[in-house]
Amino acid sequence: MSTPSERRLQKELMSMLKEPPTGMEVDTAVMEHNDLHTWHVRLTGAAGTLYEGENFKLQFKFSPKYPFDSPEVTFTGDNIPLHPHVYSNGHICLSILTDDWSPALSVQAVCLSIISMLSSSKEKKRPPDDALYVKTCSKNPKKTKWWYHDDTV
Amino acid sequence: MASSSTSTEEATASTSTSQPENKEETKEKKEDEDDDSDKSGDEKMFECNICLDTAKDAVVSYCGHLFCWPCLYQWLETRPNRQSCPVCKAAISRDKCIPLYGRGGSGKDPRSKVPPRPPPTRTEQTDNGRFSWGSNEGNGGFHMSFGIGAFPFGFFASAFNFGGPGTTPAGANFMTPQQIEEQEFLSKVFIWVALIFIVWLMLA
Repeated sequence: MSTPSERRLQKELMSMLKEPPTGMEVDTAVMEHNDLHTWHVRLTGAAGTLYEGENFKLQFKFSPKYPFDSPEVTFTGDNIPLHPHVYSNGHICLSILTDDWSPALSVQAVCLSIISMLSSSKEKKRPPDDALYVKTCSKNPKKTKWWYHDDTV
Repeated sequence: MASSSTSTEEATASTSTSQPENKEETKEKKEDEDDDSDKSGDEKMFECNICLDTAKDAVVSYCGHLFCWPCLYQWLETRPNRQSCPVCKAAISRDKCIPLYGRGGSGKDPRSKVPPRPPPTRTEQTDNGRFSWGSNEGNGGFHMSFGIGAFPFGFFASAFNFGGPGTTPAGANFMTPQQIEEQEFLSKVFIWVALIFIVWLMLA
């Protein structure tokens, strides 16, 4: 018998495979032995934006308390988008990943938010404190006390 | 389904060793998919917004969003001081949702049932000296500090020991950070009162 969090992840996976949303594709290769607690999702930059045609890889890690506890989401792979809210180690400054998380959100909703965050960027650059943050931060972005102050991007 | 098969093809192409596993995976997925496609659109309308299953012990918030009561209860417990609707973030609480009674249901208020308790997930405390005694031996510490004041305060001490929230077993296992803080504050107050009393006794 699977746990509630596994059941929910299974449902989310099914719906994403069945009706793949634009610009995101779940990579089922990493789900060895049907372990649903780590996902990789390939994102494609939206057309007409600075990231058009680029491909990125997002890693999701789910705790057994998902969906009451937010997933740990980072960019991974060799193409980390240059964006004022994305650190060079892949950590993302996005409020729905911590404070504003809600159990009604899903992998698809998070991916959509991230694509939208990329799309509204006007300038391809790293956050101003990138060097310091990357040196001092924890491996888990959820342990960072994020300060959400810039709603424009 | 199209994307499912393409992604597994890619997967098998890239990692030939994990081929059998992937096949198994797809088979299982197919079964699940059949499961899901059995559901009619009508039934999907009554899915809980949290577990994505058909709502059990259904309640609906004033803002109109449907949940299983156990799911919503767990969410409200997760953020007790910032309770908001998972879907629209409207203010929400136990009393601001309406139980739904279908014809086949038991007719009992789902909110009166004790929701199934979440499985225990034990995480180590973060490095914080204050908590090492506060949570594990919190009650011991609590009573110890009364011990000092027990002589002049015999009456108070016994009264509080009976009525204190920490004496019931349920309270002992289920202390929120707020309760711990309250207890710490109380024990501090009593230590000070006891000290003042002792000083007063010595002076008098």
